[in-house]
Amino acid sequence: MTRWALLAVALVGLPFVLSEFWLFIAIEVLAFALYAMSFNVLLGYGGMLSFGHAAFFGVGGYAAALVMKKAGLPAGIAFALVPLVALAVSAAFAVVIGFFSVHRSGIYFAMLTFAFQMLLYTLALKATGLTGGDDGMTGLKPPGPLARPFYYYYYALALVVPVLYVLYRVVSSPFGYTLRALRANPRRVQYIGVNVRAHQLATFVLSGALAGLAGAIFALSTGNVFPGWLNWTASATPIVMAVLGGVHTFLGPALGAAVYVVLEVLISGRTEYWPLAMGVIIVALVLLLPEGLSSFRRKPA
Amino acid sequence: MNEPILHVEGLAKRFGGLEALGGVNLSVARGDFRAIIGPNGAGKSTFFNTMTGLLRPDAGRVIFEGRDVTGEPPHLLARRGVGRTFQITSVFADLSALENVQVALLAHARRSWSMWPRARSLYAERARELLTLVGLSNADRSAGTLSHGDQKRLELAIALAGEPRLLLLDEPTAGMAAQERLESIRLVHRVARELGLSCVFTEHDMAVVFAVATHVTVMHQGRVLAEGTPAEVRSRREVQQVYLGEAA
Repeated sequence: MTRWALLAVALVGLPFVLSEFWLFIAIEVLAFALYAMSFNVLLGYGGMLSFGHAAFFGVGGYAAALVMKKAGLPAGIAFALVPLVALAVSAAFAVVIGFFSVHRSGIYFAMLTFAFQMLLYTLALKATGLTGGDDGMTGLKPPGPLARPFYYYYYALALVVPVLYVLYRVVSSPFGYTLRALRANPRRVQYIGVNVRAHQLATFVLSGALAGLAGAIFALSTGNVFPGWLNWTASATPIVMAVLGGVHTFLGPALGAAVYVVLEVLISGRTEYWPLAMGVIIVALVLLLPEGLSSFRRKPA
Repeated sequence: MNEPILHVEGLAKRFGGLEALGGVNLSVARGDFRAIIGPNGAGKSTFFNTMTGLLRPDAGRVIFEGRDVTGEPPHLLARRGVGRTFQITSVFADLSALENVQVALLAHARRSWSMWPRARSLYAERARELLTLVGLSNADRSAGTLSHGDQKRLELAIALAGEPRLLLLDEPTAGMAAQERLESIRLVHRVARELGLSCVFTEHDMAVVFAVATHVTVMHQGRVLAEGTPAEVRSRREVQQVYLGEAA
């Protein structure tokens, strides 16, 4: 209990101790924590390895940008609608992509998600009128004081924390138990009366919707969305974060996201070879702690 | 009046050029404890998998309690009251034994879509009762770490959680020592009697078959070779030939 209280105090107190730059990074951590955890609902709980999760993060980002810039609504109303629209639009995309993908498993599932994501990447590049093509969409700005990281941080926190609580309840619920059983043995679980595909699709949609929300939060923090968000390399990010933090713990991927983002900032400021340095550090961490950073304090079973 | 609980007519299945099932007929009366025997490759597992929706039959019908369930997907068949176990023991390895049974109870209660309540204590009492019924005491052990025999017991408990009226057991004693096999099938037999279940199981060990079966069906090369009470089947010459052939 005290641990949670400490975490809460730390999260609420951060804006008072961090510089504006690091506060901006803290917002990125919040968005990517949600992104990595949404991904881990698929991988850690559902046993589905998606190579195309960036599709939903990107769709959420573009949905936010389109609502802000193209919907012709007053800034305040558009901004208030962003989370809902991002959730709904990415969920809708997830329904379609999931419908075709969850019928396959393993590498075929991974390849289908990959293909759909590249389709969306191409669309973002080519549909210049809507998406700005190669240039992406820039100049997104939350209204009023929320444009300042100090307040936007609390806004992001107020979205991410309740959503993660809902996610926690979902994975602890009968649905979550069923999902774990499905991951352990998809054939067996059918014979207790579970519709495997329907459960997988629901999980895929939940996961996609939350990734979309993460994308929207991040888009309005940086003020931009780029097609690169939908590129296949972007789909590696949540995989690395989840594995780094630990896919078998609830908050592991969030920890992985925090470490990843902070490492990236620290190293990229010091050397142009930062991807190499990141790679070496991540390989070392994964080799030393194969169950993820969150297993560090756990006693061996 | 006395309609069979399970009636299979002309069930056929080919894999490419191989005829795995050449039109199998089977009728199981309520309360039967039916053994299906036959040498390796006789089609027993294919028969089970085709009957339970895992494989699509090329021809034939499966009637459960008077209803045509041919080709129905496994989860619907399970909801109708057909429970099954697998030749290769099939439990939810990362879940505790208790959670294995809880998941099955939740699915049976149609609560596998419930996304808000905490599942930890749901049906825990009932799950413990079922584990006790099958003689498993390590409720909190992770299922994957249980002994082979205990995993078989657990799989039975999972199947029973769905309150089936028909239990299909694919080699329930596979991988066990001779003495353990008898104990194991007697456990299934006792539980099935207590709960009033009908049961169809495949088996290699004749001692096991003759210990509990009310009826025996002999399969050979994808067809039914003989059928009857254990005593009748034992005395049939062609059955002896098939088994002697295999033993040689």
